[in-house]
Amino acid sequence: MSIDLTSREKFDRIASFILDMSTADDVLVRFEDGHSATLRFANNEVIQNVSVRRARVTVEVSVGRRTGRAVANQLTRAALSHAVLQAEAMARLAPDDPEFMQTLGPQRYDDFPTHSPATANAKPMHAAQRVASVIEHCLSHDANGAGVLTNEEHVTGLVSSNDLYAFSRSTSAEFSLTAAIDDGSGWVMAKHRDINSLDHIGRAKTAVEKAARSRSPKRIPAGRYTVILEPAAVAGLVGPLVYSLGARSYHKGTNALSGKLSSAVIDPRLTLRSHPSNGKLLGEPFAQDGLPHRDGDWISKGVLTRLHFDRRTALEHDAMATARPGAIVLDFHGPAAGSVDDLVRETEKGILVTNFWYIRDVNPSNLTITGMTRDGTFLIENGRVVGALHNFRFHESPLHAFNCVTAATAPMESVTLERDKMLLPAMKIEEFNLSSVTEF
Amino acid sequence: MNHFEHSRRQFIQTCGGGAAALYLGGCATSGPVVSDQPRTAEDFAIEGVNRARWPELADVAIGRMRRVRADYGDIRLIESRVQRVVARDRRIDDLSDSIDAGYGIRVLLHGAWGFAAGSVFSADGIRETTDHAIKVAKASATLMQKGVRLANEPVHRASVVTPFTIDPFTVPLDEKCALLIDTSERLHERKGIAQSRGFLWAQRDLKYFASTEGSAIDFNLLATGGGFGATAVGDDGFESRHFQLPYLRMGYEQVEAADFAGQAPFVADQAVEKLLAKTPAPGQYDLVLDPEHLALTIHETCGHPSELDRALGYEANFAGTSFLTPDKLGRLRYGSEHVSLVADNTQARGLASTGFDDDGVACQRWPIVDQGKFAGYSTSREVATRIGEPRSRGSCRADSWASVPIVRIANVGLEPGGKTLEGLIADVRNGILIGGMGSFSIDQRRYNFQFGGDCFWEIKNGRRGAMLKNVIYQGITPQFWAACDGVADRDHRRQYGFITCGKGQPMQSGWMTHAASHARFRDASVIHAGVGGAI
Repeated sequence: MSIDLTSREKFDRIASFILDMSTADDVLVRFEDGHSATLRFANNEVIQNVSVRRARVTVEVSVGRRTGRAVANQLTRAALSHAVLQAEAMARLAPDDPEFMQTLGPQRYDDFPTHSPATANAKPMHAAQRVASVIEHCLSHDANGAGVLTNEEHVTGLVSSNDLYAFSRSTSAEFSLTAAIDDGSGWVMAKHRDINSLDHIGRAKTAVEKAARSRSPKRIPAGRYTVILEPAAVAGLVGPLVYSLGARSYHKGTNALSGKLSSAVIDPRLTLRSHPSNGKLLGEPFAQDGLPHRDGDWISKGVLTRLHFDRRTALEHDAMATARPGAIVLDFHGPAAGSVDDLVRETEKGILVTNFWYIRDVNPSNLTITGMTRDGTFLIENGRVVGALHNFRFHESPLHAFNCVTAATAPMESVTLERDKMLLPAMKIEEFNLSSVTEF
Repeated sequence: MNHFEHSRRQFIQTCGGGAAALYLGGCATSGPVVSDQPRTAEDFAIEGVNRARWPELADVAIGRMRRVRADYGDIRLIESRVQRVVARDRRIDDLSDSIDAGYGIRVLLHGAWGFAAGSVFSADGIRETTDHAIKVAKASATLMQKGVRLANEPVHRASVVTPFTIDPFTVPLDEKCALLIDTSERLHERKGIAQSRGFLWAQRDLKYFASTEGSAIDFNLLATGGGFGATAVGDDGFESRHFQLPYLRMGYEQVEAADFAGQAPFVADQAVEKLLAKTPAPGQYDLVLDPEHLALTIHETCGHPSELDRALGYEANFAGTSFLTPDKLGRLRYGSEHVSLVADNTQARGLASTGFDDDGVACQRWPIVDQGKFAGYSTSREVATRIGEPRSRGSCRADSWASVPIVRIANVGLEPGGKTLEGLIADVRNGILIGGMGSFSIDQRRYNFQFGGDCFWEIKNGRRGAMLKNVIYQGITPQFWAACDGVADRDHRRQYGFITCGKGQPMQSGWMTHAASHARFRDASVIHAGVGGAI
């Protein structure tokens, strides 16, 4: 099983084979090739260890205003030819598309590093050695560890008959650990281009400490509380806000932000922006459709300043099309607290939340969402964590919660199970609606 | 069931696709456009997906695993084909046909797992991938405490084919496009409808499974699904209504029987009606839930907690654990005596009804909850032995050739009772009838849940009344099922399924079906989720 991914030269030749062969008016070739290795452990032993090599070629063709798309994963001439013929046959059967768009033309992409050789070359035994030290730490603290260590390398290429050309090679590595001690649990998660930057030992210590502190949780009633949300929990609120930046639904009126362009939507000390070239994030120079990812504000000092226009909506509104918002940073312009501990010290009574889980829309017209706290929910009294709490369900909207911020840190790495990596502050929020309690 | 946004990962883990493979076509090539280097033979793989050779290729892998004296090993060679037609606002938004072929090789060596997947269909490709799986297993073996032991299973040599009447891949695409556009037109005919969406989906999986124990099973599996929805916009916001064609193992005949054109006006009318519907005051209500809604309730509150791998902590870092821990098996009162939840992977049309699972274990039927008492788990050969069960329940599946098999929810359904829908409603003084699926969220041990729905009607003094909106109910799993005091009869029973059940790291999309008849739950907590309510 070779893990040498497809080179740029080979991609060029595969793409030109497809462009040459197709008789369609317009052709777009998207090529992906990747290798990923995942070591998964639970109860302090390996439960799964997988290594996958996978490629995919997507051929999208248009005949007149009709489009068809075929996907193949075998890099034989026969399979690629079949994909071209299949896409063309589909395009001929498709109805004329009133919203038809030609494939994208040439683009300019920002150049920033996306690849780490250490991640690309990590072998199964290297991963096992890293995890061994994590398991040792768990065992020596009577903690039950479950987690994952992943390293991935990807190649993406795009070519169109309209002279679009894009190629990138990127890596990512992920470590996470849920440690349990008796009835307490603690969680950490990290993601980085470079597997050597995951700090798995330091993070394992944090998870085990949290597990120890989470034991014997008390049950306190549901209600509106002052909360301190760690950056991972803040991600749960930022996600729906980012999804609401779409211009198409904005202009159809099916978006909570509809009609609010140039209005204040959140606290004036907060700025939401994309920063794909930020080395701490996992930004890419271009999106799946070939549009460039660029730095820029979406919400500037609380005011909604920009929407994300897909190509069709951009045409209809004479706006510029941009890639979907990614590589998100949320800046706090006030005097920033130095750390989560500093926020705790300045809190008379409140609840510290490590992470939210299973976050879902409840009311899309005002962005109300729900979810549960998980793996580290603590009571704060007089500037100190005094004990663990049963987990809560919450009902909140970022449009409400981000107007009740009383203190925050500078942006920090925020990696969760449900969102892409972002840079977000830890926040102290008043009147946060913890609507019910669960049994643990 | 979870939906996540990790885009890169999704590509690596969840491509779909597979069908009539062409083998070595001789296509003429001309000069390259992008690169001026000469095209060489090495740019292209030589050997294609030749299914006739699969048993021979499988033998190469099995032979290598036996040579290193593996405790166990298997290979799955798969070719999948997925076709999707998506319509949006009177036009076809996406038309795609994907073929995805490859193989996953799993080896258990010194009680530790290794898995490697590749897609080059040659003896060399298989050899390399098998050797890599063995190398991975050796790395795993350095990190074992107890080690893996598999439950026994007889050797199977079999062939499994999904029964169908109309092969969805033979239905002309223009016919499918016309159906969806016509449906969309009918939705937009109703004043107030601002957005519509519709889709048809079909997947065929051709699979060959072989193990070091001598099992060899050939699969030809089919599934179809579809549906549509409309969003109405009014002065005070927007509301949606949906029609769901269930994901089932059957052919295009279910699309033909569904009558999209006939259903569309009702869906559009109800989306508009919902705009003006009242939001109920928060409080305690009796609920009557329809089969489509119950499919999701059963999935989240019974399906997931009865996965044994979760109960044993395997998913502690991701999907979560379970309140149904092994000490509660046969003891815990999960619900009232009206509640019998049965796992049935032999059920006709069920997505988990695949003849054999990806452990090579024959599909079975067994109780999860028997007249209210917690009675059984979904298991694999690996986890069954951890609680001393002699045989796996055969509910261990992978979502593609590139994924490793994991314990999956079975086709868990609610056994019918003796009531009618009218009878259930007649005994309600102050309640709500809920249809379809809406927002859902549940804690990681599956106690505290919350569900919305797609449509709601008030029930007053035994009669169904006006439409409602923004209904969200919340509960604690065993209390909720303990309050079930009636289930409708077999005539009311319907199957609904999922193909996006998120579990595992890397995350996989699981498939299963949940059949149910309408059921009644007393005194549930309806909370306020309307505009200006919860926040």
